[in-house]
Amino acid sequence: MGTCIEAVATAHGHHRLRRGALHLTDIAAKACLQRAHHRADQLDLLINAGLYKNGNAAEPALASIIQEDIGANVGTHVIAGHHGTFSFDILNGGCGMLTAALLVDGFVGHGSARHGMIVAGDVDPSPRTSHRFPFAPAAGAVLIGHTDNSYGFEKIELRTFSEHASLFEIRLEWEPEAGLLHRGRNVIEVAEDPRFATLCTELASHTATMFLESLGLHADAIDLLIASQYPRSFALGVAQGIGIPAARVPIVARELAATHTAGPIAALEAAFVSGQFGRARRTLFVTVGAGITVGVALFVHPVS
Amino acid sequence: MQPTPWMLVESGRSADAPFAARFESVGVKLPDHVVSTRELMASTRHHTRIDLERLTGIHERRVCAPDETSLTLAIDAARDCLARSRYTGAELDVVIDASITRYVDGSTHRFEPPLSLTVKEAIGARTAINFDISNACAGMLTGVFILHDMIRRGAIRRGMVVSGERISGLGSNAARSIRSILSLQLASLTLGDAGAAVIVDRAPEGIKGILLTGFTTLAEHSRLCVGLPALHHPGAVMFTRARKIHDVAMQGGPPLIEEILEQNGLSLGEIDWLIPHQTSVRAIRAGERVLSERLGERPKNVVVTVDKYGNTASTTLFVALHRYLTERQFHSGDKILLLSVASGLQVGVVLFELDDLEVNHGHVH
Repeated sequence: MGTCIEAVATAHGHHRLRRGALHLTDIAAKACLQRAHHRADQLDLLINAGLYKNGNAAEPALASIIQEDIGANVGTHVIAGHHGTFSFDILNGGCGMLTAALLVDGFVGHGSARHGMIVAGDVDPSPRTSHRFPFAPAAGAVLIGHTDNSYGFEKIELRTFSEHASLFEIRLEWEPEAGLLHRGRNVIEVAEDPRFATLCTELASHTATMFLESLGLHADAIDLLIASQYPRSFALGVAQGIGIPAARVPIVARELAATHTAGPIAALEAAFVSGQFGRARRTLFVTVGAGITVGVALFVHPVS
Repeated sequence: MQPTPWMLVESGRSADAPFAARFESVGVKLPDHVVSTRELMASTRHHTRIDLERLTGIHERRVCAPDETSLTLAIDAARDCLARSRYTGAELDVVIDASITRYVDGSTHRFEPPLSLTVKEAIGARTAINFDISNACAGMLTGVFILHDMIRRGAIRRGMVVSGERISGLGSNAARSIRSILSLQLASLTLGDAGAAVIVDRAPEGIKGILLTGFTTLAEHSRLCVGLPALHHPGAVMFTRARKIHDVAMQGGPPLIEEILEQNGLSLGEIDWLIPHQTSVRAIRAGERVLSERLGERPKNVVVTVDKYGNTASTTLFVALHRYLTERQFHSGDKILLLSVASGLQVGVVLFELDDLEVNHGHVH
């Protein structure tokens, strides 16, 4: 038993349009379901990996609100013989999507659930007061379905390099003088060390190379590389570090460059559109985020 | 073939899952400082005439000292959990942090890196996978649901779910504005601070451990309770339509519990201990009554700790479990049902049979 990626979708916006992460994620989730020709009610599991959302709400999980917005089993009555939907959020920065994939792969791949959707979106919740918010306003959704074949994620690995944890931190802090009337605000503060981007590439390249070796594979065996889109130089840098030709790295739309948690989904969508995903037997996912955390996964599927 | 349950359910050891999981150790960290409900109500800016103690049955709650944060509570609870465990931190495969509040100092809330990274470093779990989850007050039970899935299919051998909730500040912020019992911030006054941690591991042969786990989200009611940073104060505020949540939980919860108990050949009367989410004594008693009316039976015992600790958010079930283990109220072989009802609206259950957890609990290594 295994999993297949049935559909992918993204949505992007602009600060001036005041579209929050919820709005963009709802759009991406609905488009993803539409592309897969599935009803929202068919979702057994919905995991949100986005971090920066409307009002910085800590409760409830954004996934439950998305579930309501897309209409996935929203009634309170148990319907005999039918699954409801279970929704919650994962918080693991740039590796959130792959962490969610690890969980969805378990539930869906082993048949406890038939369909799981991962959504992710980040929009600066307070652009007037945030300091140096670096991510493009964007969201994505990927639908993972059960298959009786043994295709899917062959291995997913997450490694941390905590000696570099201080190089990238995002906090919400109280600033007594912030805001239009200087009455104080809780403000998003981004602290990124200039060494962060380079170290991300180096550590991820090394981790991915070791990962491939553990599977007895060489970089030549990888048909497609799906990578984080932040730091901006990461995708091509890690391809070079591993030894994967740049032609096997999908080019994401300009609006989706520097996308945070939805970055790998943006790359996946570009690969779907270009036909690269359909032609790839072995797809390597390499993600990176604060921590420094590196995620690596090998996804195997039949060539269409 | 069994009919499809509404909840996403996974049973213990079965044909498709070679391994069972069990609770191996539970740890908590409760701040020393106690604030009575009378003291808290005396701090409200407006004269409210609310008898919160009579309304909720909460007499007191623990409140953090200035140097205690969500992170320190989580780390201290994780250390307490390891001290009662047969494992060291280095032997953990996964560390999941489920804190709603993410304070790392004062009123500073950290999004990245995840809190679980700092917890795992503090307890020496260097090679463990770590990530944070957010699922309101159902967070820790969601973490158990995840670990149970990973253990039963053999992906990992053991992991820890941890949470630190420095959440009483919401009560302090609510005290500035509450005027009457109708205030949407009233529920904030029930909150208390706590850290909790639990290790779930592969159960040895012959031990039943976790019999089933199940979760669902009644998302039509996702916006009934929202917690977010305060607009003009440090910290956060929470707006809760408590009456509506109560009604939805009473309407939606019992059929879900009835369904999964039936499908697993169990009755409510066979449950030795029901540990529900701790919001108020009155809500727990009402839930017990509605559940019993629907199922025609009562659980043998219902655990209440909210009177002493308030609603400690994602940690309530494990603070309660820890206290009853410490008081040696459980016995080996007892069937215990953990029940989460949380913003979202989340309904989650974990049913387990107690083995040597009760014996080991007192042994701090």
